[in-house]
Amino acid sequence: MAKGEKFINKLKEKVKVLDVSYSTPDQVVVLVPRSDLVEAVRMLYYDMGGWLVSMIANDEREMNGHYALYYILSMEGGKMTIEDELPQDEKCFITIKTLIPETDPTYPSVTTKVPAAVWYEREAYDMFGLVAEGLPDKRRLVLPDDWPDNLHPLRKDAMDYRFRPDPVAPEDEPDYPFLFPEGDGVVDVPWGPLHITSDEPGHFRLFVDGETIIDADYRLYYQHRGMEKLAENRMNYDQMGFLAERVCGICGFNHAIACIEAVERASNIPVPRRAQFIRVICLELERLHSHLLNMGLACEVTGNVTAFMHLFRIREYTMELAQLITGGRKTYGNVMVGGVRRDITATEIKEAKVLLNKVEKYLKEAWEAIMEDDDQVERWRGVGRLDPKVARDFSPVGPNMRGSGFKRDTRYDHPFDVFDEIKFEVAVEYGCDVLSREKVRYKEVMEAISIIRQCFELMSGGPIFIKPDEYLIKPGNFALGNTEAPRGENIHWVMQGSAQKVYRWRCRAATYNNWPSLRFQFRGNDISDAALIVCSLDPCYSCTERITVVDVKTGKTKIITEKELKEYAKTRKNSPLKK
Amino acid sequence: MSLKLLDITREIGIVTYDYPFGDYEVHEGFRGKPHYEYEKCIGCAACAIACPPNAINVSYLKDEDKSKWEFDCGRCIFCARCEEVCPTGAIYLTKEFENSVRFNKEDLLQIGELEVVRCRVCNKPFTTKRLINYVIERLEKTRVVMNEEKIELLHTCPECKKNQAVEQFTKSVRYGGFK
Repeated sequence: MAKGEKFINKLKEKVKVLDVSYSTPDQVVVLVPRSDLVEAVRMLYYDMGGWLVSMIANDEREMNGHYALYYILSMEGGKMTIEDELPQDEKCFITIKTLIPETDPTYPSVTTKVPAAVWYEREAYDMFGLVAEGLPDKRRLVLPDDWPDNLHPLRKDAMDYRFRPDPVAPEDEPDYPFLFPEGDGVVDVPWGPLHITSDEPGHFRLFVDGETIIDADYRLYYQHRGMEKLAENRMNYDQMGFLAERVCGICGFNHAIACIEAVERASNIPVPRRAQFIRVICLELERLHSHLLNMGLACEVTGNVTAFMHLFRIREYTMELAQLITGGRKTYGNVMVGGVRRDITATEIKEAKVLLNKVEKYLKEAWEAIMEDDDQVERWRGVGRLDPKVARDFSPVGPNMRGSGFKRDTRYDHPFDVFDEIKFEVAVEYGCDVLSREKVRYKEVMEAISIIRQCFELMSGGPIFIKPDEYLIKPGNFALGNTEAPRGENIHWVMQGSAQKVYRWRCRAATYNNWPSLRFQFRGNDISDAALIVCSLDPCYSCTERITVVDVKTGKTKIITEKELKEYAKTRKNSPLKK
Repeated sequence: MSLKLLDITREIGIVTYDYPFGDYEVHEGFRGKPHYEYEKCIGCAACAIACPPNAINVSYLKDEDKSKWEFDCGRCIFCARCEEVCPTGAIYLTKEFENSVRFNKEDLLQIGELEVVRCRVCNKPFTTKRLINYVIERLEKTRVVMNEEKIELLHTCPECKKNQAVEQFTKSVRYGGFK
């Protein structure tokens, strides 16, 4: 029985299935009519233990006269309890595909049944003008507020990729309709711009009652760079990997791998074994330095600068490790379709082992000291709770998820490269709070060290690259590539086009899935913990510039600087709100 | 705060480097600023085609018999694709990582000007003298005898070559075609 057949048979009981095809052995595509879309996704999500991995809208009018939607679900079990998980050989990706006629670009909103789809459906409207009927939140997500109303950039006939609409004068610029909770004495705290991992600064609004946050709303995508459009129009496959790397300054290698592997899987390109090992080593290297950065920042945000300095001292060894193995302090510029560009020599392995030992020894020592420090641990405990029920509805990923007791890790659920040969434990904690997430990160650093060591042992000789004339890229094929980045699963979906270019590339960074549920994590917490909660999601936490506070009762506006907020988060004295 | 952390601090001592007052040693194989060797460059533009961020550009200067090879370090992503494709080893990555310049962005540029060759037929500049010499040298190594006709062909631009081929072909068709 082919993978996924069991689920499809169950689907057929209630839903009309028009077609079933396989893009790879574990990626099934099921075509359903538009009217059955919601039920099909809901059944897979809640009844059969699926998680929403990504949703891709596509303009296929040149191919079949329709727009298409692809809802990708990762079938792995609900995971609310330990038993609630599918056996390893049944796990797969199921894509629910539906076609939307050009004359009537609407479809029933899946968000009404599966809340995780909310951001994806908002984006589908911005980029393609596809209207989700019944979507509760129809505000703009990706495009700027002053973008022309009927210009949907990813439609193939919409615009040239270099086109920039004229900016609107500041006074004519429309305001973004932030949500506002009802009730007396609610204070609205705008917070931003904030630079985060999902590539752009963001604007947060915290609604506070006294010092307690009762709700939050945020606007992101201030720097959407339109790289999907750029890749479709200008880049070839070799250059695309380099562009994908620049999605993130921390987990760039993960994006490159996911993007390149999507291309490789769609065309069935065999990657040499040695290249796969090198890829895994670089991926884990990235996890080392990223997690150490986040653990350090989680200390710094709460005022524990000594611990921060220690963790950064240890992080320096991991940066040196990256320099040793890839030739730069970042792991950039190493992946291409068909393998990797740089081999690892025996001397490098020898030196790398020494550095790994150092990281392991020092980190263990420092982490034990931090964990013995009650002041530090109590600042983390019980803060930013991600309720497992909320998590089930919104499909978050990464340590954010694993800190709430879900054993979700794409390396374990859908092993890629050589991860099926390597032994590792998926780190899971059950506290649902910041403390649990940091503990997960510590465990993962230790696992990453062990994975790199195993790779050095298992790595066999041989080529690291297959020549471009040994494979063929077929237009119209598509597949997804997945990697477990430090902050969660990265998904890239690539449909190949003609002339060495992609037809559609959809990049979904880990944090994209984490944002929608952040709102629930804020609720009920103290405003001094807001920075910590965002930090524990692990977005790049670098430039919280300032906060504006609006007191609803008096209508007064107050601006709090980054310094003041940081100081308050550290000391919890002299609240800037009371001044 | 935990006193244990302070103990660790005392035990470890100073870990920071003296840099910028002392040296910072990078590892073997570090990918730093690319170095251009003018003497070796033949102006084939392979690096310009391979460069993902368009840091290298090759263009023909107007009204002059020179072609311009230009590298902008401000755009470089240190991927070493240029080093990979260069047939003569004229560009390679060094260990240098101090790339900042003061006040003048021009300092980021590395420029080389090469003598161009004009097409025998249409008199447009189309390649460099060094590239043609390189091709002749390589061909001679493979024991191809270079005669006048071949040299002439090397000095014809691709556009004119195309035209000549079509001309010859139609002529031969007119006078009875291939036999």
